Formats: sequence, structure tokens, C-alpha cells
Amino acid sequence: MFSESYTGLNDLDLRVRKGLNLMRLREYEAKALFKEEGITIPNGTVIKCAEEVFSLKTFPCTLKTQVLTGGRGKAGGIKFADNAEEAYKHAQNIFKLEIKGDMPTAILVEPKVTIKKEIYTSILIDRAYRGPIIMASAEGGVEIESSGAIEIVPIPGGVYNPYLGRKMATKLGFKGKDVLKYADIVQKLWNVYTKNDADLCEINPLIIDGDDNFMALDGKVTINEDSMDRQPRFNGMLSEHLTDLGEREFKGKMCGLNIVELEGNIGILCNGAGLTMATMDLVFHHGGKPSNFLDVGGGANKDHVARALDLVASDENVKVLLVNILGGITDCVEIANALKYYKETRPEANLVVRLVGNNEEPAQKIMNDAGIPMTNVLDEAVKQAVACAV
Amino acid sequence: MSVLINKNTKVIVQGITGGMGKTHTTLMRKYGTNIVGGVTPGKGGTDVDGIPVFDSVSEAVKKTGANCSVIFVPPYLCLDAALEAIDAGVPLISVITEGLPPQDAVKLHAAAEAKGVLVNGPNCPGIITPGECLIGIHPGSIYKAGRVGLISRSGTLTYEIGLGLKQADIGISTAVGIGGDPIIGIDQKISLKLFEEDKDTDLIILVGEIGGTAEEEAAEFIKTNIKKPVIGYIAGRTAPPGKRMGHAGAIISGNKGTAESKTKAFEEAGVLVAKTPSEIVDLVKQKMSVAA
Repeated sequence: MFSESYTGLNDLDLRVRKGLNLMRLREYEAKALFKEEGITIPNGTVIKCAEEVFSLKTFPCTLKTQVLTGGRGKAGGIKFADNAEEAYKHAQNIFKLEIKGDMPTAILVEPKVTIKKEIYTSILIDRAYRGPIIMASAEGGVEIESSGAIEIVPIPGGVYNPYLGRKMATKLGFKGKDVLKYADIVQKLWNVYTKNDADLCEINPLIIDGDDNFMALDGKVTINEDSMDRQPRFNGMLSEHLTDLGEREFKGKMCGLNIVELEGNIGILCNGAGLTMATMDLVFHHGGKPSNFLDVGGGANKDHVARALDLVASDENVKVLLVNILGGITDCVEIANALKYYKETRPEANLVVRLVGNNEEPAQKIMNDAGIPMTNVLDEAVKQAVACAV
Repeated sequence: MSVLINKNTKVIVQGITGGMGKTHTTLMRKYGTNIVGGVTPGKGGTDVDGIPVFDSVSEAVKKTGANCSVIFVPPYLCLDAALEAIDAGVPLISVITEGLPPQDAVKLHAAAEAKGVLVNGPNCPGIITPGECLIGIHPGSIYKAGRVGLISRSGTLTYEIGLGLKQADIGISTAVGIGGDPIIGIDQKISLKLFEEDKDTDLIILVGEIGGTAEEEAAEFIKTNIKKPVIGYIAGRTAPPGKRMGHAGAIISGNKGTAESKTKAFEEAGVLVAKTPSEIVDLVKQKMSVAA
């Protein structure tokens, strides 16, 4: 099924694995899901202030910052302590440590465990295979991208059977009882993946402890955004679990607008992802620089478009707003009314508008009455916008 | 002639009583699509503007002889609706619905492949054979009938190109909007093969975008399987890496899914690559005048 060049890490994998623009759970939240399915995790405690370490009983322990970004250890977000005094000092520091723009609100404190072996294991949807795969490596604990020995077992048709876990166990070099123990973990990880509509469930490292039992020492779970409405347990959690978003991107996401921030001065508003990308490319082609990508979607109404216009214009670098709408299911009148509102609230704003398709004629009248010039030809509109932005 | 749909296609609409289903049923019928029925479980025996509504797809197929279904149901009901259509033996299903959970998409495509059913989409504008049949949400008046095959991952960009061609008096045989999701049914390769075999298509336009490796695979396929001229375009050449550009599938990560890689693959396969949408029309004109 895989082509020769297949590495097991295509673009979607990478996006899912890094949790970019996705709802990524914190480590302790991911582990709670693991525990629910019966995967052994360290007997840890989540603390919300440094003083809580004095109620802890098990030392030595590990303190781990609960930020959403990777590379916590290198940044100083993971510390070991032999007693409460040491733990207190570390906790105070960790609570003050911002990592890649993320301030921790919690620390996970876990008893130190004996590690005989570290493994990487995850389940995720793979675009090339058109379905979920088990991805694993006998070398855990490291960045999987830099590990040479990634093994893949596809899950045919998205239907899991226990032999798939055993197949991976064998690939990783397990024998006898360990094959069953490992396969059991994969089955349980699969349960986490399906029950929560996850895009990714990852244990890194999955360890074998001093008693020869498997234990999830760290966990990463991202929940699929399109599935959130049928996963009521994650209700209201999205805003606190997004990473790597700019201010306008975050606001857009919260009101259902797909905006990507760029560095130029031409604000862009279009309908449809492909047309928006093409418009953005055209701006570059004619020597301009877009301030953003914004796809207002199909069938947008006046209020939605007005919010989108406000969002685009909220970047103070924007010198001109380029609106390109090809109305299929989108009603041009709704767009025209939103533009009229925009012009009324910002009479000084530069607008270049190309508006064609569904209900074009009445829209044209609204635009004429509002004194907003229009053009029918996309290349013309882009050239005008670029000229305005110089 | 055309690909996938023509004047003999008998269409049912799943979700015909919903807002979007109703609106587009009216538009499709106005365009000339032969809509023979609709399906909304629990509303069997009623009608929408004279179109009979059935409780199940199998009943609709039995009573109307439908050979195509267009699905407009909400995302979480979509898998069930599609599986019902597959089970009822409908050979071509177009899933317009956007926001289908990926785990559902996997099950949908696995079931369709097992039964040899063609699924268009999800998250797509559908298919149009101008003057004969429209399934989905394409604005019909934007296209003129002719001999150019059009394949695209995007909706509105397809309309843009259809409109540009029409203004240049160039028509299309069929436009296939394959959809912007990471996992789709009828893909670029399947569409290319159909257009290659269609005796009324002279030239193929392939509109791709960043993300995934579908364009690279299509280019490989073109090298050995496609003799008709192909004109390509990639949207998103200036997109920043790591950001989802609207479509769930449109994202560059690391060095995968870039416009450079896709353009290079196209060029190596002898595909003429346009840099802008209007250049597509220019290239089509050039090719057609050479052929004439």
C-alpha cells in the first residue's frame, strides 16, 4: 500500500503530531484518558500552586510543567526533587517559566520510576494510507522525527483487531508474554483514539518499569476539531488548548473565521479556500504583500462578513482591503451590505472589491449607492489593491 | 459525452427536506438535473415541490431507478447516510457536506471501496456536465458546454476558472470538484483516467493546491496513462508552512506538500503549469489553436 518513498511522516502526520492549530490536551488530561481505558500511568498529582508540594508524600519525584508546547525538558520545565524543600524551589521556578508563549497553570508531580526500556507508540490518521496507522519505535523518549527506526502498521479500513498490536510488538522485537502486554496497550490506546475522536494518541515514552510492566510516562492527545460537538466532555475547552496562533488567528477561530496572519499590508477577504489562496498568490505575483489569508466560507451572511472585515482591518498595517467574492452559494447582496456597513464605519478605508455571481445585480446597486467602486476582473482588482498599498 | 454524469443520470437527494438540501434541489432541478426523489428518514410519503420523499435510500432506488445520490445531511449524520446509499447499491455518491469527522471519513471510503462505489467528496462542490446535469452546489450559469475537462480540489476557484473559460468562449465537458479534505473518494487520478477515456474531452485542466502528495501522484500517473494535453495550476504557492489554509487538506509541513514540489512534478510529466487563474485560460487557448 505504501509507495517506496513513504517515510511514515507525511505532512498531515507532522501537523497532527505537533498539534498545530489543533486542540491539544495537556499531559495530565491525556493521561486521565489513558487511565480511563486501563493504561497504567504513574500515580501523580496535579498541583496549581507551589505550596501544594508540602502535602505530597512520595519522594523522589519529577515535576513537569503542563504547557502545550514540546521541548519542555530543554526549556527547564522538567525537574527532579529528592524532598519537599527541593520540590518547592523547582515548583516556584516552573510556575514562573513561560515556554514558547505558554505560561503553565499546573504542574504534574509524579514519583520517580525505574526505567528498563523506553518505546514510542502512537495512533493517528495517515493521509497516504487513507486511514489510521500504528506508528512505533523501539527507541522512545526522543523526538520521533530524529529516530531512524520508525515502524508502521496500518489499520485496514479503520477496523482494529488485536493481531495488529501483536504485529507491531513483533516488529519492535518483543517476544513471548511481552507481545501480549504490548498489544494490550495498543488496544487500549485505540480505545482512547476512537472514543474521543482523537487525531492523535501518542505515548512517548512508553516504558517498561522495574516490575516488567508497561507504563505511559508521557502522553499527547489531540482532539479533532470537527468532532468536538459530539464530544461534550471537551465543551468549552478549545480556547485554552490552542497553540501557535496569532492574535487575529485566535479571535478568528473563536468566531468561526479561518484567518492566517501574514506580514504584508493588503488585507484579503475571499470565499472558498482555493480562491483565497489563488488571490493571495496573485497579490504576490503583482508585487504586493498580503496581510492575511481569510476564507469567509460559503453562504456567509452580512454579520459574519462584517465580523470578518473588522478582523482583517484590525491589523494596523493594512493599507487596503481586497475583497474577492465569487458567489456560488454566497449571496452577493449579503457581502454588499457588509461592505456598506464597513464603509460607513470607516469612511477613510481603501476598498478594492470584485464581486460576481449569485445576485450580482442588486449587489452592484447597493455598492453604487454606497459609493464603493467595483471591478469584475480579478487581475484588475489585484493590481488596483497593490497600487493602493505602495 | 462527458464523465460521471450526463442527461441520463437519475439523482436522489439525501437530506432533501433540510435547508441546504431544499435550496440546492431547487437550483439543480432548475438547471435541468433529473431529480427523481429525496430521502429523509421519517418523512417518507411527503414531497418537496412535487419531488417524492422516501424513508430509505433502498426504497427510493427501487421506486425511481436512481443511479446517483447527492448528500446534504449534517456532518455527524453523513456517514450513516453514505453507508445507506452504498448498501442500497447506488453507484455514484456525491458528499457535499463539510466537516465530516476524519474517523467517519475513513469508514465511509473503506465501505465504498469494498463495494466498488464511486464517492465524490466529501467537502466538495459536486460535479457538473454543462447543459445536461448538475449535482451539488456549482453555480450552473458560470459554465459553458464544450470539450475541456476540469478537475479541482477547490469550489470557488473552479467557478473562477469556469467563468474565465466561458468569457473566452471555451466550454467544458465536465467539471469534477473533488473536494478539499485530506481523504477523498474520486481523486485526481480517477478523474484523469475518466477524461482520457472520454471521446468528447480534448484537454484536461488539473487545479491542485498545497498539502498532501496527490498532485505528485497525479503527475506520475499522467506520464504513463494520459495522452491528452494537461494544464495544471497549484493554489497556495505563497502559503506559509504549518498553517491550514482553509481546507483541512491544504497545509505545508516541513518540506512536504509544497507548491514547488507539485509544480516540478507537473512539469516533469509534461503538464503546462499556469501561474495565475487567467493564465490557465491563455494556455487553453494556445493549446486549442495549435490543435486546430
